[in-house]
Amino acid sequence: MRILRNLRQALHGLKLNKGNTFLMTLGVMIGIASLTVIVAIGEGTKSTVLERIANMGFGPESFSVYSGGGRLFFGRNRNITSMTLQDADDIRAMPGVAIVVPRQRKRMRIINKKEFTTTRVYGVSPEWQPARQWKVVDGEFFNDMDMDRKRKVIVLGNTPARKIFGEKDPLGKKIRVGQVFFEVIGLLETKGLTESGYDPDDRALIPLTTAMSRLFRQAHLHSIKVVSTSSDIVRQTMEGVTQVLRRNHGLSPLADDDFRFVTPEGIMQWVTESEQALNRMLLLISTVSLLVGGVVIMNILLVSIRERIREIGVRRCFGARRTDITQQFLFESVLVSLLGGAMGSVVGWVLSSSLKYFDFLPVKITLDPFVLAFGFSMVVGLIFGIHPARKAASLSPDETIR
Amino acid sequence: MIKVSKMIEIDSINKVYKNEGFETNVLKGISVSVDEGDYVSIIGPSGSGKSTLMTILGCLGQATSGTYLLGGEEVGKLKDYDLSRIRNEKIGFVFQAFHLLPGVSAFDNVMMPLIYCNKIPDDAQERVKQALIRVGLEHRMAHTPGQLSGGEQQRVTIARSLINDPKIILADEPTGNLDSKNGAEIMRVFDQLNAEGRTIIIITHDSFVSEHARRILTLRDGQIVSDKINENFKEPQAGLARVEVK
Repeated sequence: MRILRNLRQALHGLKLNKGNTFLMTLGVMIGIASLTVIVAIGEGTKSTVLERIANMGFGPESFSVYSGGGRLFFGRNRNITSMTLQDADDIRAMPGVAIVVPRQRKRMRIINKKEFTTTRVYGVSPEWQPARQWKVVDGEFFNDMDMDRKRKVIVLGNTPARKIFGEKDPLGKKIRVGQVFFEVIGLLETKGLTESGYDPDDRALIPLTTAMSRLFRQAHLHSIKVVSTSSDIVRQTMEGVTQVLRRNHGLSPLADDDFRFVTPEGIMQWVTESEQALNRMLLLISTVSLLVGGVVIMNILLVSIRERIREIGVRRCFGARRTDITQQFLFESVLVSLLGGAMGSVVGWVLSSSLKYFDFLPVKITLDPFVLAFGFSMVVGLIFGIHPARKAASLSPDETIR
Repeated sequence: MIKVSKMIEIDSINKVYKNEGFETNVLKGISVSVDEGDYVSIIGPSGSGKSTLMTILGCLGQATSGTYLLGGEEVGKLKDYDLSRIRNEKIGFVFQAFHLLPGVSAFDNVMMPLIYCNKIPDDAQERVKQALIRVGLEHRMAHTPGQLSGGEQQRVTIARSLINDPKIILADEPTGNLDSKNGAEIMRVFDQLNAEGRTIIIITHDSFVSEHARRILTLRDGQIVSDKINENFKEPQAGLARVEVK
């Protein structure tokens, strides 16, 4: 077939003009490599967020209410101090509420003699354990009595325990959190690092009352986790909680809420919105990088045509039609673009893998960007090859052969 | 009496080049006919219109006015598609600068016109081989132009011009880049091709070259000023076309 013969001539052309072929390939290669890396980072970020949500211990029947207005994790005002234990008690008294876990949280240094580490210290009620369904593998979780007596006891996650005790058994040992000494009474079950590098085991838990009066020395809560009796009544429960909190905080009907809900649904919606925004950004970056690659191909092909004007003339002399020349140069453009796409995919894969290996950024390598790269590079080759190919074909044989 | 058919008939051909508002009348009402199997050389000083005439005869460009019949077919008004077909099937070109595809073997250079045929002949490879054997380059088939001497390159272009078995060979200064020995060798090939019945038209400055032709046309200022039979013409013998490699 004539078209296959022109394809073969295109391959010859690329082989003979290695310098130009390399430069054209380079443009697309950079574009596709950046596309694949960006997509991998995007996927990795999304994956991280989803894993963190999963690690927040959300079931379909639970939600959290955070101090300060705003949306999800983005509080409008971090200095709001209106959420109190009274709120938690009132919510607990509501119908349809199974578990209520009031929480305080602070990142603090914990010290065992000369060993120390910084971890997330949570002040929680004993209901935290059933609400999160997180087992204690050694020792025990604190109980209501510990809460009532504001005892200085602590349950460690695996990470801080390992960091400050090594292989030694931490149970019964005293550690210092800030300026206060605590006795280690339990070790949480190890969850392990998530794929994206988030460490759910990097935490320590103390009784909420102890946190409020002895460690953080603050009366207001950071958040309250609420578990409904059924997932069907979550929305109703949230409405009830809104009423309770607005009443307790003395908010006028026109005032904004000084608290915000974090629900699995809300997070998913946020993730979806973020993902869409991220995808739009990715599309823009990829389009720009591929456009640059395409323009490089077009310009080099145009220069190449000038250099190869004799070749075009000779081919025309010996019977090549305009369509033959068009096809040959279009094939060259598409082939070089595909080659750039393939090389870009390899480079992208290597870069993504390196980012993952060295733990620079959350990265998730999927097949999609590589399939996209193939399609994109073909389209780029076609679109940016048309003009040079038509220009080559439009050259008059007598002018090209002189 | 043998009836000789007309291979080329041009009548009142004019060619005007327009450039930035200026018009240059390169060919001025040229009329000439060439019989099948004729051996014609076109001579003339630089700027006389020789190369322009060749582009028109070779269907590489079209005349501004006038008619051109090639083998009885009016080609002056044909579309690019048909002109490409005619160039592929009926005309073989030999150029002063060889115009071989760089980096491509002699074999593939000779093969090139065949890829633009509607159907590549089944014996294409054999034909290329035979064409190269015929010009004495069987030992240079895999060599690229850069690895060949000027004479060898010109022989490759002749093999390439013959590959589609054209009726006409158009040669533009075929010995212009060769030394006298290689030039004589190349002219011997043209003589033998003509003896086989092919129509040969050679454009040249060189009187040694023009003396090989049966008929000499002289062009000056875009007009044919002389059309004479070469009295010194020696009828070449057919069947000795193979070039001896020295």
